[in-house]
Amino acid sequence: MKLRKLKQMEKYLISILIAYIIIVSVVSKNFLSVNTLFDLLKTSSGTLILAAGVLMVLISGGIDVSFTAIAVVSGYSSILLMMKLGVDNIFFALIVAAIIGLLLGIINALIIYFFKLSTFITTLGTSSVFYGFMTTFIGTSSISVADKPQSLFNFGKATLFGLPLFFIMAVVILVITWFILYRTTLGRSIFAIGNSEESALRAGINILKTKLFVYSYMGLLSGIMGIVYFSEIDLINPISLVGTELMVIAAVVIGGIRLTGGEGTILGAILGVSIIQIFRSTLVFLGLSTSWNDLFIGIILLVSVSLISYQERKSNKEHLIFSK
Amino acid sequence: MGNTLLSAENISKSFDGVQALKNVSIDIEKGKIKCLAGENGCGKSTLVKILSGVYTADEGQIDIEGKKYTSLTPITAIEEGIQVIYQDLSLFSHMTVAENIAMNKMMYSKKKLVNWGEINRIAKEQLDKIGANLDLQAPIRNLSIANRQLVAICRALSLEAKILFMDEPTTALTKKEVDRLLSIVLGLKEKGISVVFISHKLNEVFQISDSITVIRDGKKIGDFTSDELNPKSLSYYMTGREIGYTRYKKMNSDNDNILEVKNLSKKGMFKDINFTVKKGDILGITGLLGSGRTEMALSLFGLNPPDSGEVLIENKVAKITSPNEAMKHGIALLPEDRLSQGLFLESSAKTNITVTILNKLKNSLGIVNQKKEEETAIDTVKDVNVNNKNIDLHVKKLSGGNQQKIVLGKWMVTDPKLFILDTPTVGVDIGSKSEIYEKIQESATNGMGIIIISDEIEEILANCNKVIIMHEGKIVKYLDEEELNKEDVQDRIFNIINNPLGRVNHEA
Repeated sequence: MKLRKLKQMEKYLISILIAYIIIVSVVSKNFLSVNTLFDLLKTSSGTLILAAGVLMVLISGGIDVSFTAIAVVSGYSSILLMMKLGVDNIFFALIVAAIIGLLLGIINALIIYFFKLSTFITTLGTSSVFYGFMTTFIGTSSISVADKPQSLFNFGKATLFGLPLFFIMAVVILVITWFILYRTTLGRSIFAIGNSEESALRAGINILKTKLFVYSYMGLLSGIMGIVYFSEIDLINPISLVGTELMVIAAVVIGGIRLTGGEGTILGAILGVSIIQIFRSTLVFLGLSTSWNDLFIGIILLVSVSLISYQERKSNKEHLIFSK
Repeated sequence: MGNTLLSAENISKSFDGVQALKNVSIDIEKGKIKCLAGENGCGKSTLVKILSGVYTADEGQIDIEGKKYTSLTPITAIEEGIQVIYQDLSLFSHMTVAENIAMNKMMYSKKKLVNWGEINRIAKEQLDKIGANLDLQAPIRNLSIANRQLVAICRALSLEAKILFMDEPTTALTKKEVDRLLSIVLGLKEKGISVVFISHKLNEVFQISDSITVIRDGKKIGDFTSDELNPKSLSYYMTGREIGYTRYKKMNSDNDNILEVKNLSKKGMFKDINFTVKKGDILGITGLLGSGRTEMALSLFGLNPPDSGEVLIENKVAKITSPNEAMKHGIALLPEDRLSQGLFLESSAKTNITVTILNKLKNSLGIVNQKKEEETAIDTVKDVNVNNKNIDLHVKKLSGGNQQKIVLGKWMVTDPKLFILDTPTVGVDIGSKSEIYEKIQESATNGMGIIIISDEIEEILANCNKVIIMHEGKIVKYLDEEELNKEDVQDRIFNIINNPLGRVNHEA
């Protein structure tokens, strides 16, 4: 495959990343160590998995804010089921969580398609419904370190080829997502409906099928991420995670993916996530408190969306388009 | 008729209680070119969308080679060999030229995987077939409307369709491209493909069609062979009345300058443009797309500031750097693309008409006087004769001709001194066209200065008392009233437009 040229946005993100890494490694000798890198990859993995799904949803012209709720509900329910049945097996946990996530994603897609609703409102609603269903009928009590199934601990510590297993999973998922988006007719249909649903319909694209895939894929990845997340932290607390969805969306948007759909790249999403994760976990090396985190991320988000919009206006002007 | 490929019987369809089609039947024969003629809003596009499965008919039945359908989906229509070039083109603006062209074929082949090499090959082959040269990797949003139209045509041709519907495929094309397209259409016919051609340009209709079906107000007026009709009788059937354009004669003897342009230049777009528009003048500007005419018009309206040169409004130098300033100087612009630049499609006729004069309608507290707003809208809708007089109707529900009347009206209410109209009758039916001409000429007689940019020589000749022809950013010919009155003027303009550089040799 011929490598495509980097987009302007990607170049800009890569330069920020490199500049930041140089600054941090000059200031703190501890930064460029195998341990730090290992931790960084491990903590980024969950976000990367979610970002793959978010990327696909945004390209299709929608938005999903229910994925953290899906991750928690499916992760927590499947761990409770594990404990109840006494099946201490990580594959069982992953499969059950993935299936629950998939089903919840299908619910999102069906509501969006059949009631022709805005994807934001729909997923805002379902996010509360999913989460509320869990807290009301399944429970909210934390699972202590002593009760947590051993397989989750093992999964959290596992490595493959010297890399965290989580990270390998995230890479595999990103490759699969890339393949779907760029190498399959289904993927191109996702781009097409993000460009114009009406035109896609006229080209003979099955809108229902495409949307079902997009949202159930997002759900499936959320379910997997739920287990990854609960394996990474010691105490399983089902009220964490929910509320962080906008940060994941922000990471993907920083990567140059349009909120209005039809355009976006895997590399952009990866760069966006990397920037957010590196800031989050390395500000301490610069001797800065974590409160700097929000400030930095906010600035980067604003600068990158302004940059995208500026470039688009410039190119529009060259083509004598003044509408936007 | 053993050769009937598709026959639709008694198709009816209504939207929000408005009857768009009533008991329309149509037969499409194998290897024949049928033209669907009718004014904008008569239901032609609705009929096409029903036959291609985008809309479902309320009543009626479609029979395709013996298979009967009461409703079609786009996918079944494609599988039955129906391809459509839609009026709005239906392209994917963030995707490349290559992928847009190959999209239908990819979807049709039902392959699960994408082969980018093949996509590029399909696109290249189709572009070559119509002799067009476009960058395969350019995103559609960077293309001009004319090039987008070429992409849409290539896409429809990529599948070996049995029936090809073309809903006004030539609106943005130049004469040369139109000729090439028409010869492709004739080639398709020879291969046994049926073509249903929808166009407002009567000369195109007669050039290629075997039979003509006329629709008026949602009802079929009749099926004719093309020998049975001539342009005059066809426009009579389409509109239900006799249509003739009155030729504009400048009556206003007031000779004050409204606009004077001196050496206006913008790098890469236009160079050393000089002309004047006096009270009551209708200046025509023509030339191929890319001649710099639209770019120049946008400069006068403050959207594309020039690099050098002077613009004088009523003999005073004016620096116009934004549309707002242009409006303060009494300039109005009817833009080339009314859908994206001229209208708020999702808003009512009222909002669209009064948006240009909200400042005049407000009281000292800045609150808009709703009663005045309503009156202005009602008067305007009557004045420009929009067919649906309901001022609360969303303009996207109006037909092209009526939408254009709204754009015209929205600028007329500002009472401009200079009105620039960029291709005012593209996609506008003959009936509305003559009404728009009348309105323009009436305004000029009352002292307005008008500039009409147009491809149609007939349009220029019917309305203008001065004409300039542009080529590659320069004025290559200026014709005054006297020259416009000569008999061979139509052929002369045609020759200059299509052969601007060879002109010297011709005349020498």
